[in-house]
Amino acid sequence: MLDRAAVGRTTPPTLNEVERGAIRRFAEALGDYNPIYFDAEYARASGFSNVAAPPSFPISFAAGSDLRELVGVPARNLLLGEVSFEYERAIVAGDRLLVTSRVAEISDRPGPAGRVEVAVIEDEGRDEEGQMVFRARRSYVVRLTRES
Amino acid sequence: MPPRKLYFENVRVGDELPAMAKSPIDRVQLSRYAAATNDYNPLNIDELQAKAIGMPSVVSPSTLGLGFLGQLVTDWARGGQVKKAAARFTRMLWPGDTLVCKGRVSDRWGEGGRYHVELDVWAENQKGELVVRGNVTLKVFYSFEDETRFRTGQPPLIVNVPRESILVAPPAPAASPAGKVSAAKGKVSAKDSRKPEKKPAKKAAKPAKAPKAKAKKPAKAAKPAKRKK
Repeated sequence: MLDRAAVGRTTPPTLNEVERGAIRRFAEALGDYNPIYFDAEYARASGFSNVAAPPSFPISFAAGSDLRELVGVPARNLLLGEVSFEYERAIVAGDRLLVTSRVAEISDRPGPAGRVEVAVIEDEGRDEEGQMVFRARRSYVVRLTRES
Repeated sequence: MPPRKLYFENVRVGDELPAMAKSPIDRVQLSRYAAATNDYNPLNIDELQAKAIGMPSVVSPSTLGLGFLGQLVTDWARGGQVKKAAARFTRMLWPGDTLVCKGRVSDRWGEGGRYHVELDVWAENQKGELVVRGNVTLKVFYSFEDETRFRTGQPPLIVNVPRESILVAPPAPAASPAGKVSAAKGKVSAKDSRKPEKKPAKKAAKPAKAPKAKAKKPAKAAKPAKRKK
């Protein structure tokens, strides 16, 4: 069961340093060899200030707290249903982003096999001057397993 | 060798992104992805644990499919900046799944010197089943000239282009390519609908060209008046 009292729970800002090697490994794991992820000069010619991070890179950010701490259910029982990102600017190597996560919503809704519980988490990443860089929103449904 | 760029003036509503086929997802990729995202959920990497809770094997994080769609878009956008991306996961991803990513321009608009292109994107597995679909908003330069102005600190080229998807109702059954794919597994039907969509796009594009005579500031200020802050 999701913790209904979790709504509004917010993690303290956690520093994420966007390292070039982390971008490279992320892109390699996707099998995406676009030079904007590997070659700073090419990235600059493409309009980025440094090696760029792939659009889904914020998935790799740590927010100081895991899902179990946030909503009371371990990650392996949560199935990601939807995710969205909004960027004020591209994330590039060398960025130092302070990321926070907040439980925006806990609810239940009818599913094909009875009611399902839903948790929505909103993340935001700001630079050290406090400027917003990205926002994300993740919706999870609780997965029923043999254990539960 | 400077990268080639995608410019607004060359994009039309209904344009299709070249389909991108990925290699089959395998367990090595899942391990690498777990390391790259620092997410070691055992259901993604530990076969024994996955089976212990009744799953046939490890399962891929659904965000891997999202990453593939990101690749589809950035390959096509060539320097265009992703402003928004949203995705909905409709089916689990398994080792051995081979995804084909597809996309189409669903809208474009220009306002106050900023140019946006909106895409519908989706991925199908080897059975033709929809696994993830989403939409993406890109910010692009209007043209090479607009980009040059930006780089030399000049004001942007202002060409106001209204949202075309609102002006021109998309052909009814083809409104959502993703929906259609899931409904009919119909790759063929997706292609059929390409032509009807192109015409309205062109029509709407014409008024865009007329004001291109990039007048000086006073003239520009008049046009986007209702949007001026």
